[in-house]
Amino acid sequence: MTTAQAQRSSTSQQLGRSRSAHGFEGFGLMIRFILRRNWVRMLVWTVVLAGMVALVVQTQRVAFPTQEDRDAYATIANTPAVAALTGIPYAASTLGGILNIKLWMTVVIALSLAVIFLVTRNGRAEEEAGRTELLRGGVLGQHAYSLANWVVAGAFAFVVGAATTAAAIGQGLPALGAAVMGASFVGVAVVFIGVAAVTGQLSQTSRGANALAAIVLAIAYGLRATADLQAEGDVPSAVSWASPIGWGQQMRSYGENLWWPFALSVAVAVLLCAIALLVERWRDVGEGILPDRRGPQHASALLRTQAGLTLRLQRSTIIGWAVGVLAASVFFGTVATAMAGLLAGDSPITQIFLGGAKDVLDSLVGFFAMANVLLIAAFAIQSADTIRSEEANGRAELQWSHAISRAQWALTRMLVPAVISLVLLATGGYLLGASFGASVNDPGQGPRFAAASLAYWPSVLLMIGFVMFCAAWLPRFATAVSWGVYGFLVVLSMFGDLFGLPDWVIQNTPFTAVPRVGEDFSALPLIVIGVVAIALSVLGLRRLRARDLAAE
Amino acid sequence: MTETLAVEVNGLKKSFGTLHALDGLDLRVATGSVAGFLGPNGSGKSTTIRVLLGLLRSDGGTARLLGGDPWRDAVELHRRVAYVAGDVTLWPNLTGGQAIDILGALRGDLDAKRVDRFLQLFDLDPTKKARSYSKGNRQKVGLVAAFASRAELLILDEPTNGLDPLMEGIFTDCVSEAQAAGRSVLLSSHIFAEVEKLCDTVTIIRDGRTVESGTLGELRHLQRSTITVTIDGDPTALGKVPGLHNLTADNGRVSFSVDEDALPAVMTALAPLGPRGLISTPPSLEELFLRHYGVHPSDTEVAAR
Repeated sequence: MTTAQAQRSSTSQQLGRSRSAHGFEGFGLMIRFILRRNWVRMLVWTVVLAGMVALVVQTQRVAFPTQEDRDAYATIANTPAVAALTGIPYAASTLGGILNIKLWMTVVIALSLAVIFLVTRNGRAEEEAGRTELLRGGVLGQHAYSLANWVVAGAFAFVVGAATTAAAIGQGLPALGAAVMGASFVGVAVVFIGVAAVTGQLSQTSRGANALAAIVLAIAYGLRATADLQAEGDVPSAVSWASPIGWGQQMRSYGENLWWPFALSVAVAVLLCAIALLVERWRDVGEGILPDRRGPQHASALLRTQAGLTLRLQRSTIIGWAVGVLAASVFFGTVATAMAGLLAGDSPITQIFLGGAKDVLDSLVGFFAMANVLLIAAFAIQSADTIRSEEANGRAELQWSHAISRAQWALTRMLVPAVISLVLLATGGYLLGASFGASVNDPGQGPRFAAASLAYWPSVLLMIGFVMFCAAWLPRFATAVSWGVYGFLVVLSMFGDLFGLPDWVIQNTPFTAVPRVGEDFSALPLIVIGVVAIALSVLGLRRLRARDLAAE
Repeated sequence: MTETLAVEVNGLKKSFGTLHALDGLDLRVATGSVAGFLGPNGSGKSTTIRVLLGLLRSDGGTARLLGGDPWRDAVELHRRVAYVAGDVTLWPNLTGGQAIDILGALRGDLDAKRVDRFLQLFDLDPTKKARSYSKGNRQKVGLVAAFASRAELLILDEPTNGLDPLMEGIFTDCVSEAQAAGRSVLLSSHIFAEVEKLCDTVTIIRDGRTVESGTLGELRHLQRSTITVTIDGDPTALGKVPGLHNLTADNGRVSFSVDEDALPAVMTALAPLGPRGLISTPPSLEELFLRHYGVHPSDTEVAAR
């Protein structure tokens, strides 16, 4: 071989080597980049999830202080409802087992959603916004960014696993069981990192990527629910092996403490990421594999009205809140009787619930009814706050430059939350009362609680009026002020007694002034609140008509 | 001659805190005419348009839109006005077609046939969600909605932002067609060729004040033309004519710029020199514009034309 040939051959070898390395050029930098942009949200998730583990262990230790209590609980824990919702209980006579029943599924679903959103946020959403193109136009390997994204998400899952393990050990649970529990969280999470990696390659939009991955999560949940319902003893049916959540359950933390399903999860996660890499290798930047979904060419007659447009724009918000509120209503109604049994004596906790009512059970359900109302108020605020957000993002300008008055435009955006909250108050209150009534064999409770909830409508209107007022007078701070005041009212309404505030304060907030179930009804507070709501709305509308457009 | 005015703005003032965005601005759009509105970024074009649309309230001066008060009569006036913003904001989860229908329904003159025609002209897919549209496609949604309307007055704020040259051509046709149909157009733009081609009158503003307005002919009248001519004689004699500037000579070919009123004297001086192949170039809109901003194209460059 001549020198020249030798040189050529070594050059081509170098090229071959470097070409494969080039796919990941800039990997380290991307890791730091993604960490820099996401560390706060990852930290919050970690603290919240680990905190929940510690909190639940603590409360369950109080609820089941002795081994007899736990044994007694184990005999009644295995109901179809528990199996379907939170998984088949095992080791239910240990504190760790009880923790699993109460919290394991919640953490798994929350963490899975967290990693799905994280992977999409840094993956497909960046690509959709065109920022990936900006980076890939520089010296950056084809796969460096994606791989860094998945590695960061994986590291996040691991940190959550370690933190929850530490929290459980810190609460005195067995170390091995706690470690297996932490690992089971990590195992499910990494599979969904893989799932989100693939859906991020398939869909062209971040919404699509999130939705597809969430559907996979829902299917996984449904499969394991089926398997847990078909369980023999505490062993779910084989269907459970078709679900990544099932693999996490099969690690049976605090019970048999098996490690090998974790290996299965990691293997599947790696496989999914490898598939995503392959897709990324041959697809174009910015493109997806699934076709872009088309929409209708024309607006329906309903969509051409202001109310129809507002409803359509808030469709997912409304559906989401409605499902949440109705589910919460049934839940509150169902657990009320059981909780009332636990509330004995004269503790400050009991005092919160008691309020001015004579009957513990009645006042507890009344308290739940108010909690439900606060949820509905949150929906109303979010919905009405579009008055501000639409103006900030420029779509108000688009509409105000057409033949519609600002007052009419804003009134529609107040009317929608007002009407929807009325419906939610009636149905939520009825469901809460009916499910409570079912547990005490009293069919009259449905209408009774529907009426009690409806008494809060002026309070919800007051919140809508307040949002309108803020949007008109303090446009740039409207969202922060509205939610800040709401948060303050929630704390005051739910826990005012705990802070030792004077009664005249606690009893005269927009939500506490309304007579609760079991208290004597009086229309005066409702009228006063309603008048304030109207006054705030009118002042807001007048200001909105008189001031300049205040876009961001 | 008395003509009706679609837009009449006199001494308009508007401040944001200590910033005087508009400081005595004048603007006229004659009914049925296309008026160009020129000025650099931040000179107050969009603020003027927002005052005309009743989105901002003026601090002084008068503004009339189609004979009405843009603030007080906003809703009624908006039935007769179509507006395209420089950066059209749409609802991300609705399609372009739905947005066009909603905007048409808001004005109350939605005409599906006209919409279809302009959708085809601008080659816009109305079934895509707005979030997946590029900047240019969002502009197209605004333009289709505006042109398909029956509004008497079109207010277009840098509407061709992000459009390709082919679409700019279509836009030019659509504006001409609108004018032929008797509609008035206020066109704020950065593109001199577009304004020169389309506009009957031009208003140039600077720091919220009108510095020049009139027909292109009127504006040119006040400015120097550039003349290039081949002569046999000695060009030095020309240099002594008052009103003649920037004289250059190269092998019998001379170039100079000349004030409009000095033209007869220049011609007299030129005649004995045996002029051939005389080319007179009126000032371009770009030159007129730049003159007001102290950024003159270099004199040699002007002379070389």
